[in-house]
Amino acid sequence: MQMEEINLQKNVFSDEVGSIAKILDSEMTAFERMKMTRHNLIRVSGAVIFYLIMMLIFAALF
Amino acid sequence: MELILYVILLAFLFEMMDSSAGMGFGTGLTPLLFLIGYDPLQVVPILLISEAVTGITAGVFHHEFQNVKFSIKRPITKETKIMLMIAGIGCFAIFFSVIITYYSLKLPKDIIKVYVGILVLFMGIIGLIRLKHKVRDTYKPKLLTGFAALAGFNKGIGAGGYGPVVMMGQLFSGIYEKTATAIVSLAEGFVCIVGVASFLLISSYGVTIDFVLLPSIFTGGFLAAILSPYIVRVLPNNIWKLVIPIYAISMGILTLSKVFLL
Repeated sequence: MQMEEINLQKNVFSDEVGSIAKILDSEMTAFERMKMTRHNLIRVSGAVIFYLIMMLIFAALF
Repeated sequence: MELILYVILLAFLFEMMDSSAGMGFGTGLTPLLFLIGYDPLQVVPILLISEAVTGITAGVFHHEFQNVKFSIKRPITKETKIMLMIAGIGCFAIFFSVIITYYSLKLPKDIIKVYVGILVLFMGIIGLIRLKHKVRDTYKPKLLTGFAALAGFNKGIGAGGYGPVVMMGQLFSGIYEKTATAIVSLAEGFVCIVGVASFLLISSYGVTIDFVLLPSIFTGGFLAAILSPYIVRVLPNNIWKLVIPIYAISMGILTLSKVFLL
């Protein structure tokens, strides 16, 4: 089951603390949780680009 | 710019644990770098700068991988409110702590550190006992505020142990392990921003900061801050229920050994 489907089916706007993590743990196996969405991959790529920019800044400064 | 491989590996290892068990980056990495031979002014401000970035990065990725649901727009989630409360107390405490250090106020540091070491050790043991008895509390906000204040007090008097106390405090207050880790990661990021600002304030009064370790610590820490929330998401919560108190016990022992052995 895709994460987006779970979001729609379950009440992720529940005010209970930690509800989203509990839902993922109860609805998906560890193997299913390994799958990354396109949005996840874009964020990870963005972070890697941020890291490279920071290293360029460090190289220029130190 | 110099990249030091063993510093990168150490930073990666401790940030992995910090972003997945909510503690240990400062408590674990600082004494190791001192033992290797680095000075406090080469280590402490650099760890604060690095943890400011990696804490916020880990918080963003915990949210991205759905270990927590933070919000910047209304309705503000309870997780966000808890994070802001913990971060607010921590920010005040770290500012106070840096000022105390700067003015060299005489506090019985060893006694304070023994107290924090015993407290963290005790909290870890209680965490394991609760696990054995399968205690699952409902969320207790007043208890959590008390633990956040206790952690802030400890940090404010310069004894550290903020991460372990606030992390175990969250678990005792009924917060789900994966979510508690995410909350403390982001809160520590904000606390460290204030720590960095306090250090910069001091450096404007003549204290020189050595940035030689920054690229290495940032490299190890930043990569771990991305990977760790993903691992938290994938592994079952039962593993974190066990790992977090055991790691807290090891941090308590490390805090005590720093007093008696170093």
